[in-house]
Amino acid sequence: MTTSAPEPLLALSDVNTFYGQAQVHFDLSINVGRGHIVCLLGGNASGKSTTMKIILGLVKPRSGEVTFDGTSLLGLSTPQIVRRGIASVPEARRLFADMSVRENILMGAFVRNDRTEVAQDLDKMLALFPKLGQRLSQRAGSLSGGEQQMVAMARALMSRPRMIVMDEPTMGLSPLYVDRVLELIRTINQEGVSVFMVEQNASLALEIAHEAYVLQTGKIVLSGSARALKDDPRIRDAYLGGSEAA
Amino acid sequence: MSSWLDYTINGLIVGNVYALVAVGLALIFGVSRLINFAQGSIYLVGAYIGWVAVVQLHTPLPLTIIVVAVAAALVGLIIERFGLRPLQNSVRIAPLLATIGISFVLDQLVMLTFSPNPRALPSQLPDVRFQVGGGTIGPLDLLIAGVGLTSALLLFVFLRYSKLGWAVRATAQDRDAAMQMGVDVNRVNQAVFGIAAALGGVSGMLVGMYYNQIDTAMSLQATLKGVVAEVVGGAGNVPGAIIGSLLLGLVESYGVAVFGTSYRNLFAFLLLVVVLVLRPNGLFASARQAPPEPLTGTFIAPSRPVRIPRWALLVATGIFAVLPLFPVSFYVLQTLINAWLLGMLALSLTLVAGTIGQVSLGHAALLAIGAYTSALLSLNLSVPVGLAIIGGGLMSAALGTALISPSFRLRGHYVSIATLAIGEIVSLVILNWESVTRGPIGISGIPPLALFGYELVSPISIYWFSFIVMVVLALLQGRLLGSHLGRSFRAIRDDDVAARAYGLSLNRYKSLAFIFGGFAAGVSGGIAAHLYSYINHETFNTQQSILALTVVILGGLGNVVGAILGAVALVGLPEVFRVAAEYRILIYGIVLLLLVRFRPQGLLGTM
Ligand SMILES: Nc1ncnc2c1ncn2[C@@H]1O[C@H](COP(=O)(O)OP(=O)(O)OP(=O)(O)O)[C@@H](O)[C@H]1O
Ligand SMILES: [Mg+2]
Repeated sequence: MTTSAPEPLLALSDVNTFYGQAQVHFDLSINVGRGHIVCLLGGNASGKSTTMKIILGLVKPRSGEVTFDGTSLLGLSTPQIVRRGIASVPEARRLFADMSVRENILMGAFVRNDRTEVAQDLDKMLALFPKLGQRLSQRAGSLSGGEQQMVAMARALMSRPRMIVMDEPTMGLSPLYVDRVLELIRTINQEGVSVFMVEQNASLALEIAHEAYVLQTGKIVLSGSARALKDDPRIRDAYLGGSEAA
Repeated sequence: MSSWLDYTINGLIVGNVYALVAVGLALIFGVSRLINFAQGSIYLVGAYIGWVAVVQLHTPLPLTIIVVAVAAALVGLIIERFGLRPLQNSVRIAPLLATIGISFVLDQLVMLTFSPNPRALPSQLPDVRFQVGGGTIGPLDLLIAGVGLTSALLLFVFLRYSKLGWAVRATAQDRDAAMQMGVDVNRVNQAVFGIAAALGGVSGMLVGMYYNQIDTAMSLQATLKGVVAEVVGGAGNVPGAIIGSLLLGLVESYGVAVFGTSYRNLFAFLLLVVVLVLRPNGLFASARQAPPEPLTGTFIAPSRPVRIPRWALLVATGIFAVLPLFPVSFYVLQTLINAWLLGMLALSLTLVAGTIGQVSLGHAALLAIGAYTSALLSLNLSVPVGLAIIGGGLMSAALGTALISPSFRLRGHYVSIATLAIGEIVSLVILNWESVTRGPIGISGIPPLALFGYELVSPISIYWFSFIVMVVLALLQGRLLGSHLGRSFRAIRDDDVAARAYGLSLNRYKSLAFIFGGFAAGVSGGIAAHLYSYINHETFNTQQSILALTVVILGGLGNVVGAILGAVALVGLPEVFRVAAEYRILIYGIVLLLLVRFRPQGLLGTM
């Protein structure tokens, strides 16, 4: 059988994930097309962050397949997956609190060995995130939440990834920073980086996403183009936990 | 008469040596949240490699240092690769226990290779001393200070400017995030184990040269001192470990100046306990911050216990009860008496470590308290032996619980460190409190076991006595576990936050567990005192604490029948196979390692 659609960059198919006895994902299938922004929506404890961890190899599924650019990620360790070109902005940023902002951003380039180009990329990041320029030698843990988010995004970009996965990048930010972050995600995407982001705030996410999936207690209950989903009343139902959302 | 300056110099030099050990511990704790109890063994290995190099190969000093550093680093890499990496996904207690097992194995291998007799380790440096102010300083002092400073500088450069150094720091701060940056944490682990071992090995060699003597007892002392220094400085904090070490060196040196040599270690452990209780994150962290331990669960391997039918237990009890009626040798009875005494200790430890989750590494102290109390009651106050033993149990329950209670708010590794320190403190108080304990001479002429005025001198009567006491304690503990109280104990172990939320008072339940456990261990110690007729401050040592822990893990943490089975197996099997005494500790270490790796739930499963 042939498909007319181009092969997706990242594909999760029929993934079942367990923590001990508890099942978190039920036959989860998600595609992230090349150059797209794909958003995973869902309420608390629906299994969104676990999806990120599956992609990054921090948690391994019991069954199912995860492929990136056509090859399976399941046998790979997290560092190996990162070297394939997936960068991450983890939930709650997870900066290296006692290292300086500069060191944090450069940690993002850990997998690279081209020192001079890394230095150039650092300058690029400072152009993209001008506020960080004055904070370079400050402890990352002493930054405000919004500034930390900027550092986390700069850090992710430093590996020159083909795809960035982000876990609730707007969480806990002031409205000003939320807009800034969304704008940055769009900019990053326009430079050719695919984005997979997890969000709770559907209306925000759907503004910038191309496609979206809605996750409810580990099952995809709704998916489609962001434009179509934006006006779908079931989006609201899904969040309120309506049993017939699908 | 030495001057204060001499004591200060001595304190700083010794502190430098501690720092070399503690920095390694801090690096390892930072990266893998593990207290490496094998660190002292690497220090020991370093000292003996130094001896081989100096005495047999006649290497010049700079080469000796390099040889020791490289060889020790190799040992560290092997430990990491084969001892610890396979345990990455195990319960959190597994690597800790593995390092204990590894330290037993390494120490015994050194002892078997080089014999336990002390050896001289000449420093190859001229024996001159320079006048500095009111004190003197020798070339070896300068060497140690030089090695300390150079290592600190190299480490600083490594952590600050090398890629691997960055990876080490990033992993220490957030392991998952570091992995998401592409850091291979296995390589980071390898690096820190290699560095820690190199520093530890060189430290052992320097100490050997400083005292011109090396022996196998150095190992445990080094681990303990390194742990003290590290915790004082804040676990995982490298500069803190250095400052903590210098502080420890000074406290010890001034303590010795004022009170005498036998107080050296007492000050070290008191410092540790004070820091643990008041500032569990070390002197340089804010007091409020909780130690970096997981909040709940997963410290003990969960499993379904093996169900043993009641009739099988009855039959087994019956067989052991009537065993002396058959023509068995004195030797068999003697062995089983030892097993029953160890069984009582294991019952106590399995309750404390298994049921309520406080993994004690100082349980032999409870034996010591029971033994001394019973011995002194019967000798000084002519209390009948039977009553004196009960007195020993009660004293052990009361004093043991009182000593541990300030540490009740600690968790995980920190409980183990605190109990280890308290165990050492008990032994050191016994050593130094001469007016009561007769100090280093020990207590001799302890009256034999007796019950209602009848002396139990025949092996058969001693056998029955110890067997019955153990069975009664086991039955009581079985009842306890099935009761509401037992369920509360397990709830606290599995999730102390939730248990507190349900309104359980953690301190009260932990006290109850230690009271019951203390009584059983104290009775065991009391019986032992009357059996041996002579005890001193080393009769009940850390090795026994670790043996008890191995027994308990072998049987299955929290498992009453398992504790007794474990005791019979570990005491009996080496006898059956006629293993020479010097190989036994080695075997215990290997058993512990194999268990942790292949059957962490023990033979009968955790309860
Ligand atoms: N390490 C873990 N061990 C056991 N259970 C876990 C673990 N991590 C997550 N869970 C459970 O799996 C479920 C899904 O968690 P996940 O973090 O993926 O949810 P989420 O959608 O990201 O939630 P949130 O919106 O709160 O971030 C939850 O019920 C959570 O309690
Ligand atoms: Mg989440």
